[in-house]
Amino acid sequence: MKESAFITLTDKFKDKLFRMAKRLLVSNEEAEDATQEILLKLWKNKNKMQEYNNVEAFAMTMTKNYCFDKLKGKEAGNLKIVHSNYKDEQPSLQRQVEAKDSFTWVEKIMNDLPEQQRLIIQLRDIEQYDNVEIAKMLDIKEGAVRVALSRGRKKIREELLKKHNYGVV
Amino acid sequence: MELSNIEKLLEKYFEGKTTISEEKELKVYFTRETVSPHLEHYKSMFQYFSEESTITATRDFKIKPKKKTRYAWVGIAASVVLIAGIFMSDINKPSESIDTYEDPEIALQETKKILKMVSSYMNEGKQELVYLKKFENTKNKFIK
Repeated sequence: MKESAFITLTDKFKDKLFRMAKRLLVSNEEAEDATQEILLKLWKNKNKMQEYNNVEAFAMTMTKNYCFDKLKGKEAGNLKIVHSNYKDEQPSLQRQVEAKDSFTWVEKIMNDLPEQQRLIIQLRDIEQYDNVEIAKMLDIKEGAVRVALSRGRKKIREELLKKHNYGVV
Repeated sequence: MELSNIEKLLEKYFEGKTTISEEKELKVYFTRETVSPHLEHYKSMFQYFSEESTITATRDFKIKPKKKTRYAWVGIAASVVLIAGIFMSDINKPSESIDTYEDPEIALQETKKILKMVSSYMNEGKQELVYLKKFENTKNKFIK
């Protein structure tokens, strides 16, 4: 496989890998690194790529494992990454501030979820994979996916309601 | 879409029982400008989800240049040459010794001569050792 062919192939799901890594590792930089690492691994094994029936799902699983390893290492190293991913977007200032506020709020809630739920919501609600695919990627049962999904969503709702009702937490 | 339908879908959604297409409907509904007031707080959730799916990695994938393996081969070749060289030179070494005699009589004579010479030098050297006795005596005087 040529380099260009490889890049066209991986470009289709590269951002998904990135978003997943970002969801788990939180920091932008680390997510970028993880994506590079996974793509490089894929590139090295490009000859075996024909054997995988679904390269995208395979890459997602790889990313998940890689991130979990990273997280474990970080816990052991007692390291906490402080991240600040600032963006600059246009829409009207008032709306922007409001939206930003609620977005960061949802993001905060989501990143407080247990890893598994976080991951499943990421895959389902953001990337729109179906449960069968998710189950395969994470190597768990379909039922478990549904349960985790429901729990995670309910948790987000609960936290959002709290905020909505009190305005502060 | 009717409000009751959305509510029903939401109910299903939180049980994790909606299909992908139903979730898309929800997303479409909640990304509108106006949402029924009592569902307002779900808005940020669904908007966040659709927003998040547009994030892209900024860094392009680059394949790192391969390590140059040529030099490894040079090393291997050099060591092969070296080992071969050692073996070759071993074989070529002259193995026959010099100063040999065909006749055993003459050989015996020669050997005796050499041995005699060695022993005479030995004795000569040994004479100097007499002085050691003096040390011994002096030592005995002081240390008893």
